[in-house]
Amino acid sequence: MFLFRIIAMAFGGLWTNLFRSLLATLGVIIGVGAVIAAVSILQGAEREILERFESLGADQLIVLNGSSRRQGRSVTISSLKLSDADAIERDNPKLVAATAPQVQAGSQVKYYQRNVYAPVLGTSPAYAAINSYDVADGRFLTREDVRGNAMVCILGYKVAGDLFGVRSAVGMKVKIAGKSFDVIGVMVERGTLGFIEVDKQVIIPITTAMGRMYGRRKLTSLIVQSTDPTKLVECIESVKKTLRSEHRIRAGKPDDFIIFTQEQIKENFAQVAVIFAVVLYSIAGISMVVGGIGIMNIMMVAVTERTREIGVRMAVGARRSDILIQFLFEAGIISLFGGGLGVLWGLAVSNLLDTVVDILTTYTPPIAIVFALVMAMVVGLLSGVYPAMKAARLDPVEALRFE
Amino acid sequence: MIEGEQLRKEYNMGDTVVHALDGVDLRIAEGEFVSIVGASGSGKSTLMHILGCLDRPTSGELLIQGQPVSSMNDRRLAAIRNRYIGFVFQTFNLINRTSALDNVALPLVYTRKPFSKRDARRALERVGLADRARHTPSELSGGECQRVAIARAIVNHPKLILADEPTGNLDTGTSAQIMEIFHDLHANGLTIVIVTHETEIAVQAQRMIQMCDGRVIDDSHVDEARRREVVALVESTRRRMFRTRSAS
Repeated sequence: MFLFRIIAMAFGGLWTNLFRSLLATLGVIIGVGAVIAAVSILQGAEREILERFESLGADQLIVLNGSSRRQGRSVTISSLKLSDADAIERDNPKLVAATAPQVQAGSQVKYYQRNVYAPVLGTSPAYAAINSYDVADGRFLTREDVRGNAMVCILGYKVAGDLFGVRSAVGMKVKIAGKSFDVIGVMVERGTLGFIEVDKQVIIPITTAMGRMYGRRKLTSLIVQSTDPTKLVECIESVKKTLRSEHRIRAGKPDDFIIFTQEQIKENFAQVAVIFAVVLYSIAGISMVVGGIGIMNIMMVAVTERTREIGVRMAVGARRSDILIQFLFEAGIISLFGGGLGVLWGLAVSNLLDTVVDILTTYTPPIAIVFALVMAMVVGLLSGVYPAMKAARLDPVEALRFE
Repeated sequence: MIEGEQLRKEYNMGDTVVHALDGVDLRIAEGEFVSIVGASGSGKSTLMHILGCLDRPTSGELLIQGQPVSSMNDRRLAAIRNRYIGFVFQTFNLINRTSALDNVALPLVYTRKPFSKRDARRALERVGLADRARHTPSELSGGECQRVAIARAIVNHPKLILADEPTGNLDTGTSAQIMEIFHDLHANGLTIVIVTHETEIAVQAQRMIQMCDGRVIDDSHVDEARRREVVALVESTRRRMFRTRSAS
C-alpha cells in the first residue's frame, strides 16, 4: 500500500514534465529499439540459414577446391578433377556410398519466346539419390547420358513452369546458351537445397557441362555420401588420402582441397553469427548506456528543481529511504516506459525490413522483448541511483531554504 | 512536553564560526501558545528547526516528552515530525502539481498506514476550505494556500504546531484570518509555537520569547494591556483600510 502511494507519486512527478520525461527516455527508446531490431535480424538470419543446412544430409561430405596464400592474398586452386569422383568411390567402397561431382554455371534457357536465366548444374546420376531429390515427370540422368555427353536436361520445377506453363515439358527442346537440349525430366518442387534455389535450376550431365557447354577442366565441388553417418571422421580421412594420392601431393605439403561436413559448416556459421552478435549487441549496449546517461541527466535536473519539495516531504515525515525510493521509481518508470516504446519501434523496424528487403527474414523471440524491458529497467534504476541518493542525502533545513 | 537544555548550533562559514544558537534553555508545556520574536539572524529560525527535529543541535540536549533527541536516529526523527509535529512555513511550501487535498494528505502517506482521504478532507473543513479540495495551489490565493498548509500540519493530529513566519507573505486581513485558525487550534488543545518578527502577531500568544544573537533575552507572559493595545492598533488599521477600499 505504502509502496503503491510512492509509485503513484513518482508517476505524478513524471506527468508534470511529460515532454521532458519523453525526451529523457529517447535514448532508451532508441537503444531498446536497436536491440530488438538487431536480435530480430540476427535470429531471422540464423533460423533461415540453419534451416538450409538442415536440408543438406547429415551424412554428406562436401569437397571444395582448396586455397593457398600467394603474396598475402588467398587464391583458389582449382584441383578437383572429374576422375576424383570415381577414384573416391573405387578406393573407399566400405565408407563411401556415392559421389556426385558438380560444376556450377548459369545460362539463358529459352523455349521459343520464353526465356529465363537459370543456374545450370552439371552433375552425375548419383545427385538425385544423394539429395533425395527426384524427378516428378520423365527421368533423371543416367550413366549413358554422362558417358555420351548427351545434350539432355532436367528442369527445376519453376523453370518448367516459367517455360511451359501447365504443359508437360518432357520431350520438348530448349536452348541453353544457344545450344539445343532435349528435356528428359522435370524435378519435384523442393524450394531450396542448401543455399541453392533448386526449383530455378537446370541440370545437365557433368560431362556435357565440362565439355561442350562451359569448357571447364575442374569441378566446382564434389559431394560424397558416406555409408554410415557415425563414421564421418574416418570417411573424411579416407577421402583425404585418396585425393592426396590422386593429386600427387607429397607428404608434408598442404592439401589442395577442403572437406566440409554439414556440422562443420554449421559451426563455422555459428562463429560468424557470434561475431555479428557481438557487434550488434555492442552497438545496442552503447546506445543503452547513452540512454542511461540521458535519464541520469534529467533526474539530476529534477532533483535540483524539486529540492524544496524534498525538504517539505522530509518535514512532514518522509524518511530518507522514502525519498530514495521515489526517485528510483521515477527513473525506473521512465526507463521502462521508454523500453516499451523502444520494443514497439524495434518491432516496427524489423517488420519493415522483413517486407521491404527481400533477402531478410526477421524473427523476434518473445524472450528478447522481456530481456529488452528488463535491461531498460536496470539501466533506468542504475542511472537513477546517483540522483536519488543525492535527493535522499539533502539536509531538510537547507532543502526548505532552497530557492 | 518539549525541553531544550543549553542548545547550541554552530555553522562554519569559511574561517569563522557562526553561533546561530548560543546556549538556549527552553521549556514549552503542553497547551501553550508561544511566540518567538527577534530580528533576522537572531537564531529564531534555527531554534524552530531544532525544536521541529529538522536539525540537530551542535551541543546541548532536546527532550521531547522526556526523550532525548540525541539518542534517536534519522528514522525516529522522521516519525516524530510525521506524528508529533506539524509545520507551517512562510512560503507555504505546497507541492504545486497536486491538488489541495493531496497536499493535505501528504503526511498520511508517510505514516505508512492505510488511510482514507476523508481525514484530509476533514482537515480542510477545519480551515474552511472543503470546497477548494480539487484546486491546485496555483489556483488558490495566498491566504488559501496557507490554510491548506495548516490543514496539512494538523491532518495527522500532532501535539505541536511550529509556524515559521506564517503571516509573513500575507496582508493584514488574511493574517488575521490565519491567526484566528491558530487561536482555534490552541483552544482545541494544540501546543502552538509561532516564529515571527511582527509584534502584533507575537502579542497574540500567551507567552513571548525574545531572541537576540542566538540567546533568549526575554521570556515572559504577554500581559493583557499590551495585547489590547496592539490588537486595537491592528483593528484600527483594518478599519482604515476598509474605509479606503470602499471609498475607491
